[in-house]
Amino acid sequence: MNNIEIKLKDLVKDLFAGEKIDVLIGYENGSLPLRSRPCFVHSAGEVDRLVWNSYCTNNLAVYLPRIFQRQEHKKEETPPPRVGIIAKGCDARSVVGLLKENQVIKENIIVIGMPCSGMIDPAKVEAALDGAGPYSCQGEVDGSLEVTTSSGEKKRLKREEVTAEACLECSHPLAEGADLQIEGEPKEACDERYEKIREFEAKSTEERWQSFVKEISKCIRCYACRQACPNCYCKICFVDQTKPRWIGASDELSNVMIYHIGRIFHQAGRCVECDACVHACPMDIDLRLFTQKLVKDVKELFDYVPGLSVEELPPLWTFKQDDSQSFITEP
Amino acid sequence: MNKTVDNWEPKIVAFLCNWCSYAGADLAGVSRLQYPPNLRVIRVPCSGRINPLYIVKALQQGVDGVLVSGCHPGDCHYISGNLVARRKFALLKNFLAYLGIEPERVQFSWVSASEGSRFAALIEKVVDEVKELGPAKKLVKKGL
Amino acid sequence: MHKKAMVIGGGIAGIQAALDLGEMGVETYLVEKGPSVGGRMAQLDKTFPTNDCAMCILSPKLVEVGSHPYVTIVSNAEVLSLEGSPCNFRVKVLKKPRYVDEDKCTGCGICMSKCPIKIPDPYNKGLSQTKCIRIPFPQAVPAIPIMDKETCRYHLTGKCRVCEKFCEVKAIDFEQKEQVLELEVGSVILACGSQEFNASLKNEYGYKLFPNVVTSIEFERILSASGPTSGHVVRPSDGKEPKRIAILQCVGSRETQAGNEHCSAICCMQAAKDAIITQEHLPEVQTAIFYMDVRAYGKGFDRFVDMAKEQHKTRFICGRIASVESNPHTDTLLIQYITQEGIINREEFDLLVLSVGLEPSESSMDAARRLVVFMDTRGFLETNTFRPVNTTRPGVFSCGSISGPKDIPESVMEASGAASAAAALLGELQSKEIRFEYPQELDIRGIPPRVGVFICRCGINIASTVDVPQVVEYVSRLPGVKHAQELLFACAQDSQKIIKAAIEEKGLNRIVVSACTPRTHEPMFQKTLKESGVNPYLFEFANIREQCSWVHQKEPEKATEKAKDLTRNSIVKVVFAEPLYKETLDVKKEALIIGGGLAGMTAALDLAEQNFQVHLVEKEKELGGNLRHVHTTLKGEESAPILKALDEEVNKNPRIKLYMNARIREISGYIGNFKTVLDPPLSEIEHGVVIIASGGEEYQPKEYLYGEDDRVVTQRELEDMLNGSDKSKLSSLATVVMIQCVGSRDDERTYCSRVCCSNAIKNAIKLKELNPRPAVYVLFRDIRTYGLKESFYRSAREKGIIFIRYDKEEKPDVHKNSNGLAVDVRDKILNKTLAINPDLLVLSAGIIPNPENKLLSQFLKVPLDPDGFFLEAHVKLRPVDFATDGVFVCGLAHYPKDIGETIAQARAAAGRAATVLSKDTIEAEGKVSYIREERCNGCGACVEVCVYNAIELDTEKRIATINEALCKGCGACAATCLASAIDLKGFRNEQILEALEAI
Ligand code: SF4
Ligand code: SF4
Ligand code: FES
Repeated sequence: MNNIEIKLKDLVKDLFAGEKIDVLIGYENGSLPLRSRPCFVHSAGEVDRLVWNSYCTNNLAVYLPRIFQRQEHKKEETPPPRVGIIAKGCDARSVVGLLKENQVIKENIIVIGMPCSGMIDPAKVEAALDGAGPYSCQGEVDGSLEVTTSSGEKKRLKREEVTAEACLECSHPLAEGADLQIEGEPKEACDERYEKIREFEAKSTEERWQSFVKEISKCIRCYACRQACPNCYCKICFVDQTKPRWIGASDELSNVMIYHIGRIFHQAGRCVECDACVHACPMDIDLRLFTQKLVKDVKELFDYVPGLSVEELPPLWTFKQDDSQSFITEP
Repeated sequence: MNKTVDNWEPKIVAFLCNWCSYAGADLAGVSRLQYPPNLRVIRVPCSGRINPLYIVKALQQGVDGVLVSGCHPGDCHYISGNLVARRKFALLKNFLAYLGIEPERVQFSWVSASEGSRFAALIEKVVDEVKELGPAKKLVKKGL
Repeated sequence: MHKKAMVIGGGIAGIQAALDLGEMGVETYLVEKGPSVGGRMAQLDKTFPTNDCAMCILSPKLVEVGSHPYVTIVSNAEVLSLEGSPCNFRVKVLKKPRYVDEDKCTGCGICMSKCPIKIPDPYNKGLSQTKCIRIPFPQAVPAIPIMDKETCRYHLTGKCRVCEKFCEVKAIDFEQKEQVLELEVGSVILACGSQEFNASLKNEYGYKLFPNVVTSIEFERILSASGPTSGHVVRPSDGKEPKRIAILQCVGSRETQAGNEHCSAICCMQAAKDAIITQEHLPEVQTAIFYMDVRAYGKGFDRFVDMAKEQHKTRFICGRIASVESNPHTDTLLIQYITQEGIINREEFDLLVLSVGLEPSESSMDAARRLVVFMDTRGFLETNTFRPVNTTRPGVFSCGSISGPKDIPESVMEASGAASAAAALLGELQSKEIRFEYPQELDIRGIPPRVGVFICRCGINIASTVDVPQVVEYVSRLPGVKHAQELLFACAQDSQKIIKAAIEEKGLNRIVVSACTPRTHEPMFQKTLKESGVNPYLFEFANIREQCSWVHQKEPEKATEKAKDLTRNSIVKVVFAEPLYKETLDVKKEALIIGGGLAGMTAALDLAEQNFQVHLVEKEKELGGNLRHVHTTLKGEESAPILKALDEEVNKNPRIKLYMNARIREISGYIGNFKTVLDPPLSEIEHGVVIIASGGEEYQPKEYLYGEDDRVVTQRELEDMLNGSDKSKLSSLATVVMIQCVGSRDDERTYCSRVCCSNAIKNAIKLKELNPRPAVYVLFRDIRTYGLKESFYRSAREKGIIFIRYDKEEKPDVHKNSNGLAVDVRDKILNKTLAINPDLLVLSAGIIPNPENKLLSQFLKVPLDPDGFFLEAHVKLRPVDFATDGVFVCGLAHYPKDIGETIAQARAAAGRAATVLSKDTIEAEGKVSYIREERCNGCGACVEVCVYNAIELDTEKRIATINEALCKGCGACAATCLASAIDLKGFRNEQILEALEAI
C-alpha cells in the first residue's frame, strides 16, 4: 500500500467519522490487471476497499449528476446526499463544470484532490506486448512498469510509453480548487498540446474527410462514449428525442456522423480532455482527434479553458463585443 | 433536383434573420437586383435562433450549401442574439471544415436591412463557390 | 370627445410621439408633409456612436406606425389652421393630391417601372434618378407612389398615361384634387424638424462649383448601401475611390456672416462616424476633419471620437479652411487652411465633405405661424428651460429639432416627453375603444390539416416571371392541400373575401399565401384568418416576389421552380404549425419612482396627472436633489421658485405617496407586477413599472489644490457664492481662472460631463455682470456649448472673458508661490506659457454616477455602462427604456445632462411608463419560447443568454421557467439549450427540421 493511499484512507475515515459525507466515490481494485474500477463507499468500515494507483482512469464526476438529480417520482423527498469524490485534475475540472451547470450542489460536495502522476493506458501496454496474450502486472519500478506475460516472460515497459495520451498531454494534473488535497508529487503540466490536431489541420480536406469516415465507420452506436462523459447528463439525450427526431434511427453513416458531430459539439467549452469517452469506446475510435479540436478552438477563439473557475461563464452562454469574426463571408 | 453533372444546379438553404437579412433580401428584390435562383430561404426571428444542428441537418438532407445571415454586430433586433450566435457559428464553421467538409459549403455573413446589393453579391458569391465544388456528397443521407 | 391628438411632422420624433400616444390609447393623426414618414433618419447610413444601420432600426418603427390601430397617417398634407382651446381643438389640414388613389393602390410599383420620365431622386439628394411617379424609398410608409405633377408628361403635354394603363387596380387618378380635412383633437404636437443649411451660401468652399465638394447628407447617401452608388465610396467627378478626404465642420453653424449663430449639435459626431465608416469601406483612405471644437458631449461620444482617431486613422485638425481650389484637369481639391497655431498649410484632397448645419425649416416656421406659437429670433420654437416640450400656446407641444438642433436620441426623448405631456392634458377623457369582433375560433384538435394555398400574381409583378398557374397546379397535388388558387392581388379587399369564402366552403384550417414579403403583409392576412375563425398562427407566407420574381426576371423557369419550392416549404411549415395564443397579464396601475430630484418629481407629476398612483422614494430628507444647488439656468431663469412649486405640488398631490429618507431593500417581479420592499417603512408595495431617477453627484476634485487652499472652489460653490450673501467678496476679485474638464475626459473617467462648459460660461458671465473689472480666464479643452447654447459662448467672449485651450497631455499647473495662487498654462496660439495669479480658481468638476447605481442595477437586472451610468435598451431609439420591460431611466442616472434635458427625459420616462400603465393587461408575443420540463436539466444556459430576463431557474425543481410576458421570441435560448428543452413557438425545431426535409 502506498503512502498516498494511506493518507487517503485516513482522510476518508475522518470524513465519515465527522459525519461530513454520506458517500464517497473512489476506486477499488478491478478484476483485470491494470484496471481499477469506481466504487461507492458508504461508511468508514468500507474505506479499506479504496485504492489509489496508476490505473484509476475513469472520470468519477460522471456519477455526480445522477446522484444529485431530483427524485421526482419519490413522494417523500430525501435530502440530497453529501458526497465526497476522489479527483484527479481532470475529474476536479469536470466537477467545476458541473457546478457551473447546476448539476452538483455546492454545499454537498467535498472534492479530494489527488496528486496524479498520470494513468496507465492498458491498451498501450497490450500494444507494447504485441499480442503476447494475458499478462499480470507487478507494478512500477524505477519509472518502468513490470509485467509478466502468460509465457512467463518478464518485461519492463517505460512508463512514458504506456501512459495514457490524455495524461501525457494533461495541462492540469493538480486538482486545483479541491476542498481537500492529498499531498504528493503530481506529474508536470504539459503545455505543448494539440500537435496532432495541428498535423491533422494541415492535411488536405479530402484526407481529413477520409479519416473522419474511417473513424466513424467503426462506430456501432453503443453510446459508451456518451455514458462515460460527465457532461452527458441530459435527461433525454438529443439522439433519443422524438418530435423532432434529430437523428435517424438507422446505422446509416450520415446518422452516425451526426451523432458524433452533435455530441462533440455539445462538449464545446465543456470538455476537459479526460478521454473518458476514448477509453470507453469498444471500437477504439480516435475520438480525441475530434474532441480536442474544439478544446483548442475554444481556447484560441475565446481564450477559455473549461473547468477552472466556477464563476466564469461557459463560453457559449456569453459573448464579447470583439469576438473573432474572421469566418464571416464578405461578398 | 437533378444531380447529373451537366444540368446540375446547386440548392442552397439560407437561414435569414427576420429583421436585417430578410429585409436586405427584400430590398434586393425591390431594387430588382438579379441574382442566381438557387436559394431557398428559411426565415428565422434572429440569427440567435439557429441551432447549429440545423446546419448539419441541412447538409444531411443533401443541400449543396448553407448560408446563415443575420444583422451586423450591434444591429440585432434582440440586442445580442447575433453575438451569442457568432460564437457557435465560429466553432461550427471550423469544426465542419476540420472534419473535411468543404468550407465553402457552410457560410456565414452579416447583411443589414439597407444592404440589398450586399445581399445580391453575397448570393452570387456563395452560388459560384458552391458550383465550383460540385454536388454535395459528404454527410448526405444515403438514398437521396 | 375621446382622447385624440395630432402630431405634425413624420420624422423620427413625430413617429415616436404618435406611437407613444397610440400606446396610451390616444387616437392620433400623424400629419406629414411629404409622401412618406421617416424624415431625415431614413436617409442616414449609420448612426453614431454605435454605428447601427439607420434603416435597420427605423424600418420596424415605420411598419409599426403604419399599422397601429390608434394612428392614422395623413401624408402629403399640411396643417392650415388651429382653432379652439386645449382638449377642444379644430384643425384644418390640406391634403395635397398624389394623383394615386391611396385606397386602391397596392403599392406594387408597376407604374414606377413603366413611367418614361426620369427625375433627380430627392431621397438620394439628386445624386441619382428616379421616376416622375415613384415610391419615395423602398421602406416608405405608406408604400404608395406619388406623381410629380411638374414633370409628368401627361400633365405637361396631355399625352402619356402609361402608368394608368399598367395599373391593374386603376389607382392612378390624374384628376385628383386638393382636399381640406377638418379634424378635432384635444392636443397637438409639433415635430416638423429642421432643414440643412444651404451650402451654396458659403461659396468659398466651392459647393456646386466643384464636383468633388459634397454636403454631409449627400455623403451619407454615398456611404449608404441603398444610396446612389450602392455604398461604394466614390467621388462624383470620376467615380474613383477617394484616397484623401477632408471634412469641414461648422458649415453654416457658429458663424453669422452667411450662416447661423448656433451650433448644430450633431455634426461633430456625424463627421467622426463618417470617417470611421469610410475607412471601413476604404481601408487606405486618409480622412482629415477640420474643426473648431470637438463637441463629443453625449454618452459614449468621446470614446467614439478616440476610436476614429486611434483605430481609423482620422486626423482631427483644429483649424479653419481658408480657401478651396479645384484642379480643372483632375478635379482634385487644393485646400488652404490655418491651424490654431496660426500656420497656413496647403494640402490636396480628393473629396471635401461640408458638415452642413441644421436650421429652422421654412415648413416648420410656416407651421408655427399657422398654429400661432412663438419662435425665437432664429426661427426655432421658443421654449422655457423648465418646460422643454411646451410651446407658448397651451395644448400645443413640441419635440425634436423644431426647437433647436438635436440628435436622434434627444429627439426621441422629447417625443416621448411631449406625448406624455399631451396625454396628461387629456387625462380626464376616455380612450376610444378599438375592439375587433372575431368569430369563435375553430378547434382544430384532432382534425387533419386542410391547407388552403393562395398564389398571388401581384398584377404582373409576379406573374410576368413566375408561371403562377403552374405553381397552383403543382401545390394542389401536395399532401394536406385542399384548396389552391391564384389571385390577382392577394392583398386587395376582394381577395380577402375570396380567402374567407374558401375557408368556409372547404373547411380549411391552415393557410399559405405566396406573395410578397411577410414583413409588411403578414398582419393583414392574419386578420383575415381571425375573421374566419382560424387561429392567426396557422398561417405561413412564401415570398415569391421580392425574393423570387423580382430577382430572377431573366430566368422564368427557374423562378417558377423556386416559387414551387418556397410554397411547398411554407405548406410543410404550416402543417406542423400549432394555434398560438397571446398570454395576457394584469397591470398594477402604480409606479415606483426611485429618486426625488428634478427628474423623479417631474415624472411623478406627469404620471399622477394621468391618474396613476405614484410611489416616490427619496433617500434624503428633502426633495430636489442637485437642483437645490442650481440657482439659475443658462438663460437666466431662476430655479428656486420652480423647485418650491414642484415640491409643493408633489407634496400635496393625492396620487403621489412620498417615502423620505427611504431606501430600496428588495425588488422582485416583472412588468405589470413588481413588488418592492422599502425601508422605512419596511413594507411591500406593488407596482407595474419602475422609473430610475437616482441622479448623479458632483465629482470631488483631488487635483489643483482643491481642499488645500480656500481660493480653490468648484463651479457649484461659486454658484452658491454668486447667489448668496458672499457676493461682496466676489466684487473685490481681480483675476479669476476657471479650469474645465476636472474629473472628466481623463483616463479614469473618459466621458464628458456635458454641462460644465455651459455652467462655467453662465457663472463667468454672472461674475462679469456683478463686476466687469476682473479678468476671467477659462482654460478649456473644447468648449462644448452645443446647440442653442452657443450664443452664450459668443456673448461670454464679447464680454471679454478669455478662453485658452489646453491639451490633455499638458494640463494647467496650479501651485502656490509668493504671489499667492499661480496657474501656468500653455497657450498654443501664442506658443508660450502664461503665468496667471488668480484670487479665485474655479474648477469645473464633472458629474459622476450615483454609487448606488450598482445595487439598483442588480435589483432590477438592468445594465450599467462602463462609466457607471445606466445603459438604456438602445442608445438611439429607446433612450429611456431597458431591454427589461417596465423599467425606465431618466435624468443624471442615465448620463450628465442639463435641466431642460432632464425634464424632457423625465417626461419621456413617464410617457413610456404610461404606455404600460394605461393598459389593463399586457399582451405578450404569440411566438414565445416554452419549456419541455421532462427534458430540462436546469443548467441555466438559457437564463444567461436571454437579454430580456424572461427565464428564471426554479431552484427547487431545478427547471427553467419562462415568463411569457417578457419573452420577445428571439429564440437564443432555444438554440443554446443542448437538451432542446426550450423551443420557440412558431419556429419550433420540428417545423424547421420538417421544412429542411422538404427542401
Ligand atoms: S468529451 Fe470525452 S474527453 Fe471530453 S469531457 Fe467528455 S469524456 Fe472527457
Ligand atoms: S426567446 Fe429570447 S426573449 Fe424569449 S426567453 Fe428565449 S432568449 Fe429570452
Ligand atoms: S435580429 Fe437579425 S441577427 Fe438578431
